[in-house]
Amino acid sequence: MDKLNIIHKTVISIIISTMVISVVVPLLFFLSITFSSDVEMTKFPKALIPTFAVTVKVAPAEDGEYEIFHNRGEGYRSIITTKNPTKLENHFRRQYSVTISGEKLLEDFSKTRVNGSMEFKYRKDIFYNFKQFFAIVNNSIPALKNSVLVALYTILISLSIGSLAGYAMARYTFKFKEVINVTLLIVRMFPVVGISIPMAVLLIKFGLFDTLLGLALLYSVPNIALTAWITSSIFIGINPELEEASFVFGANSFQTFMRITLPLAFPALAASSMYAFLTAWNDTISALILTNQNQTLALVVYKAIGTTSSGIQYAAAGSIILILPALVFTFIVRKYVNQMWGGVEL
Amino acid sequence: MSKAKLENSSQIGLTNSKGLSSIFNKKTIPYLLLLPAFIYYAVFWLAPVFAGVLEVFTDMNGSFTLTENFKLMLKSDLFDKAVMNTALFAAISVILQYFIALLLAVLLSRKFKGSKLLMFVAMIPMAITPTAVAILWKTGLIKDGWVNSVLMFLRIIKEPIVFLNAEGLAAVFLIVLIDTWTVTPSVMIILSAGLQGIQRELKEAAYTFGANKWRIFVDITLPILKPSIITSIILRLIAAIQVWAIAVMVLGFSRVPFLVERIAFYVDAVPGVATSEKLAFTFSFTTTVIVFITTVIYLRATKKKTKQGGNS
Repeated sequence: MDKLNIIHKTVISIIISTMVISVVVPLLFFLSITFSSDVEMTKFPKALIPTFAVTVKVAPAEDGEYEIFHNRGEGYRSIITTKNPTKLENHFRRQYSVTISGEKLLEDFSKTRVNGSMEFKYRKDIFYNFKQFFAIVNNSIPALKNSVLVALYTILISLSIGSLAGYAMARYTFKFKEVINVTLLIVRMFPVVGISIPMAVLLIKFGLFDTLLGLALLYSVPNIALTAWITSSIFIGINPELEEASFVFGANSFQTFMRITLPLAFPALAASSMYAFLTAWNDTISALILTNQNQTLALVVYKAIGTTSSGIQYAAAGSIILILPALVFTFIVRKYVNQMWGGVEL
Repeated sequence: MSKAKLENSSQIGLTNSKGLSSIFNKKTIPYLLLLPAFIYYAVFWLAPVFAGVLEVFTDMNGSFTLTENFKLMLKSDLFDKAVMNTALFAAISVILQYFIALLLAVLLSRKFKGSKLLMFVAMIPMAITPTAVAILWKTGLIKDGWVNSVLMFLRIIKEPIVFLNAEGLAAVFLIVLIDTWTVTPSVMIILSAGLQGIQRELKEAAYTFGANKWRIFVDITLPILKPSIITSIILRLIAAIQVWAIAVMVLGFSRVPFLVERIAFYVDAVPGVATSEKLAFTFSFTTTVIVFITTVIYLRATKKKTKQGGNS
């Protein structure tokens, strides 16, 4: 029995540690890439932790030039020979993410005239890729603002319309209830990509094409249905006697809804708003179809993957900015999501 | 008593028709609550969908046709591959993700030291934006990427593998793995929330009657989890049939064709061509029909099973 127990525990810990490793290791490498310089991107095998400094060997050459050597993993190799400060500065910035003026570099290197070839260590600008992302990708800062606004609009639209519908579905029996229930499921089945094109035509008619509201209107389509679905399952779990008590004290339906039911349904609303947020925040294809100038951050990053085949670390840095709010939002409302699927008992 | 009072007041409302109170009677309230959603879906869903369906059944010149666009779709490049890959992907990914999610949910639902932290770790991939997931794996799967680095470090392979050149089945499986990494946590959450609802007493009772762990899992845990399992499988199936973003962002268009990947292809990669718009509409119509049929079949099948299982 004891032996069995030991085997049992070993198997469990192996499974769990496999899970942890397969989640954490890719993430660590990903983080490492966002802080990697161009030279590190070409290195193989990749390091789990990025370097914070770069070491170069410098040897004096003829005509006042300097030969720079760098170790890319196969020993030191000659990389560049120059005395031009701009060239040096650009080389250090682009290759090693070291932002330091060319004159300062030349001044440092001039010591080799006396001492012979020397090693120099320079600190990397850790946030170089992030700066590059915002510098290379134009309108990335407005895009960030757009993403936040679109997500907010989507949450507002889906929650206000969806929760009303969800309440009706949970509390009342009426004709066509089944039909409406099925319709809500069908709405969620329809690929959003499919309605994006006719939606573009429609939005042009309303003068909403290439606007943030127009995008939010599209994102709300699946999310109103989802909100209705989530909230109705929570409303069913809320004891109607609480509402009846409120009626007895003279409140009407809307007052009861606002004062009693809505606060109790908070977990469902938090969970629904998370899904609404993620739809709006993560989407790329609909934004591609429905916008022109007012792009969202996800779209900007998506385009950056396609265009910068060599500088994918910049796109990676951009995607970190994309991940952070989603991560924060998800973990703030995560306990409500848990509650929602478990069914709250009140 | 309160109900009687309510009905009473609504009747008074009807006869007196005193402004608001007449509108808020018991019969019309649900419709009023549903009205905003109705209007919204009429304008922003039904109208575009109708326009889309209309496109499917009209030819280039705008006259009605029943099959013309479907013929166009059947003849389009990679159609059969897209159908095959989508079916394969949906089947393999749902099964694989289920197995892993159930295993983890059961293991992590026991309360032990650090189980909450582990749950937190397991949830991280869920919160990562698809674009970021694509970059993460793209930088991993290139020849000098981190996946090869890890595999070489562990001495599993001697030479780096060029994963991004994978084709056919191997490529589909690659997408399945990436999708599994991303999506399993969301399945796990639904399942572990369902597990929390299982009462300890039930399990303890089963123990006292001499049931072993496996019997408890099959006879108590699984049946109680059933509703959670059914809901999450539907959500997963719907999402799995609509896979495209990861395939496109990691491998590029037309490398691993899927149904929705084709839609995005005709919208994003070849816009402006007259046939491409027709194809996009026809593909999305077809995909929706497939999703719909799959869901209906699945719901029917699970309902039958539940009825039979109820006796045992």
